[in-house]
Amino acid sequence: MNADSVNKTNLPSKKFKIFKVRSDRGLGDIIFDFFNHAFFILFSLICLFPFYYLFINTISDNNLVSSGQILWYPKGIHFDNYLALLQVHDLATATFVSVARTIIGTALMVLASAFVGYLVTKQKMYGRRFIYRFIVITMYFNAGLIPWYLNMSMLGLTNNFWGYIIPGIVSPFNIILVKTYIESIPPDLEESAEIDGAGYFTIFWKIILPLSKPILATIAIFGAVGNWNSFTDSMILMSGNPSLYTLQYRLYIYLTSTSDLATLMNSGGSVSQNVINSVMNMRTMRMTVAMVTLIPILLVYPFMQRYFEKGIMIGAVKG
Amino acid sequence: MPGTNSILVVSKNQLNKINTWMFLLRGCAILILISTFIPALNPAMVSGLIDKNSALFTMAVSYSSLVEGFTRAINRGWVNSGTVLNIYISSLLTFLSVAAIVAGCCMTLGKLKLQRLGIKIIIIGCGAAIISLLLLFPAYYALCGSTNLNAVQPMISYSYLIFDIFLIVCAVLGFVNIKLLPRPSENDKYEMEAKYKLFLMALPFVILCFLFSYLPLWGWRYAFFDYTPGLGLSWNNFVGLKWFEFLFKNAASRADIIRVMTNTLAMSGIGIATSFLPMAFAICLTEIRSLKLRKSIQVVTTIPNFISWVLVYSLAFAMFSTEGFVNTVLINLGLEKTATNFLMSGSHIWLKMWLWGTWKGLGWSAIIYIAAISGIDQQLYEAATVDGAGRFKKIWHITIPGLMPTFYVLLLLSIAGILSNGMDQYYVFRNAANQNSIEVLDLYVYLLGLGSGGTGNIPLATVVGMLKSVISITLLMAANWFSKLLRGESII
Repeated sequence: MNADSVNKTNLPSKKFKIFKVRSDRGLGDIIFDFFNHAFFILFSLICLFPFYYLFINTISDNNLVSSGQILWYPKGIHFDNYLALLQVHDLATATFVSVARTIIGTALMVLASAFVGYLVTKQKMYGRRFIYRFIVITMYFNAGLIPWYLNMSMLGLTNNFWGYIIPGIVSPFNIILVKTYIESIPPDLEESAEIDGAGYFTIFWKIILPLSKPILATIAIFGAVGNWNSFTDSMILMSGNPSLYTLQYRLYIYLTSTSDLATLMNSGGSVSQNVINSVMNMRTMRMTVAMVTLIPILLVYPFMQRYFEKGIMIGAVKG
Repeated sequence: MPGTNSILVVSKNQLNKINTWMFLLRGCAILILISTFIPALNPAMVSGLIDKNSALFTMAVSYSSLVEGFTRAINRGWVNSGTVLNIYISSLLTFLSVAAIVAGCCMTLGKLKLQRLGIKIIIIGCGAAIISLLLLFPAYYALCGSTNLNAVQPMISYSYLIFDIFLIVCAVLGFVNIKLLPRPSENDKYEMEAKYKLFLMALPFVILCFLFSYLPLWGWRYAFFDYTPGLGLSWNNFVGLKWFEFLFKNAASRADIIRVMTNTLAMSGIGIATSFLPMAFAICLTEIRSLKLRKSIQVVTTIPNFISWVLVYSLAFAMFSTEGFVNTVLINLGLEKTATNFLMSGSHIWLKMWLWGTWKGLGWSAIIYIAAISGIDQQLYEAATVDGAGRFKKIWHITIPGLMPTFYVLLLLSIAGILSNGMDQYYVFRNAANQNSIEVLDLYVYLLGLGSGGTGNIPLATVVGMLKSVISITLLMAANWFSKLLRGESII
């Protein structure tokens, strides 16, 4: 695989040729095309339908939902389930934790990757090759879960919000991506800024950061999705402090808990509990929480489209 | 490095001498920094109630974990909460002094004037650290006055002495260096050469990398001790290779390992055996002529890759639970009389897990092949058309050979990662009915060590994790060697 392949993502459009080929298509071609289209349309439906099914179940009449009567389209549309979730306090906390860790964690990771990626392109740096290798080699080994956990505990990062953030700041893979990208930027700009007397921080902030926006956007989006989706770190590190659980882990607890709804929702005032009990049951509750957890991903997904293909290709030609 | 003006008065011989003393000073400062992360060298360990695994750093950053150990003693009135605060403040100040020493150590990389300032800061830091440590004595005497000495166990351990010795040596080295260095001339400024500046800018990230990727390796020592949480490691509970032998000699754990390895290898094996699917998916997708349809399919089939396994499980719950879509449809069609909860069944787990993995990942893994296909030289296809090759011939003779390098690399990487299935997927789908056939190595290590709420067998879990890490890295090296041998290209 070479760098050229990144640029040639669009096949040249050859309308005339396609028409010509189509006119002398054989029977085998037609049969293949039929099954090919059928397969992909079916697979797409299989990918999409669960999301649609989950959604229509959260907005349909709850009695119909609990007896499994909502199959293809919503009946008795209402949004009480979503409103009721507003009264679940631990869910609000979990949402806050998830949003905070996604924003802070991603921002710090992106800045650190950009900065370190920039520094390791500086030939002048004392011990440059050693530093770069020291960081990159950590991609290939792993002490294992238990030593990692004991280490986190030794560093005081268990039951501590920063336990989500600090370990993710240095990300070797992203550093490689940024470094490769910065190396492709013409050095003239930087040199002329250096002659004008700009320091390293100024050059980084005013020149490197704006120029490497595409790659930073790519790693930011992947980082944000990773932060939003992770739940095992919540389960392993924060076991002593439920107020630090992420939304994903809360959802997992709701999905697997066998206790009844009232105990689970832990919502405080008796009035609100009555409201919840009247509109929701365990099944709709679980599905609504899942939908809420899903929405941010579906919201950023259209933006990711532009970046993910680029991301995976640069990943493949890492150097 | 001395400044340009002063270099005239310093001979080469003298310079070498200065360098040696400078290295000693820096080495000593680094030693002090490292010992703040080693529980055995924690000078602030003044009571048996402090967690034996907390280093000075832990005590300085986390007041809550310090208080945790004393909660019972404070409630019973054995220890005054002011004493705990005293211990905390003392360790915090000590740690800040160490931070000053490290900052000074960084400044010694500068030119003469900055270097001298750095050394002065180191000396001041050493003094401050020694004073901060002396602040532990009021707390120690308060603990000695406790009504329950057996529980509180006041102590001043040998680590206090060692730490003090480090600090004194460091301060003395500082004085020696100051004496040896020439006085800066009036023209000198606080400056540093660019190469050291860049180095220091990267240093914080190197330290972070060390803390979270290298330091955990030090935790492998738990494999050689009879460790229980709360109690520390000491030579009393050193057991050598006991847990390694236990793993293979104990019938129950041997059976566990065989079962877990079977699951791991089977599920990874199914994945490897079907690793041609993304390639086939990509080839067939590019055979669809309508660009719009192709793009839409690509968009839709990659969505599942971006949701977490918890969300996959909640979709599975919506579709396959007793009141879910599949049961309702089957009953409506008369194919089923009573609803079954498919998620609770324990049959065909390997296959089901593979299906979920494929549902989630197929569209995404195909993208790399789609990009590779668009990188194949179009002239090859045109030449083949001229020669009268049909569509399937072109796929067979041009597309597939063009994709093979990518395929080999991914195949080798997946073979190297055969033991690392991750635990997320298997953890969320695990339940009483399927737990025997779903436990993969990663999940097993978690459940063994941490899954049972503080009563897990940490040494044994560490042993299993260790063996896994060693085998994985060996496999990766072998795969890399194989790739070099076969294609002359390294994959890592």
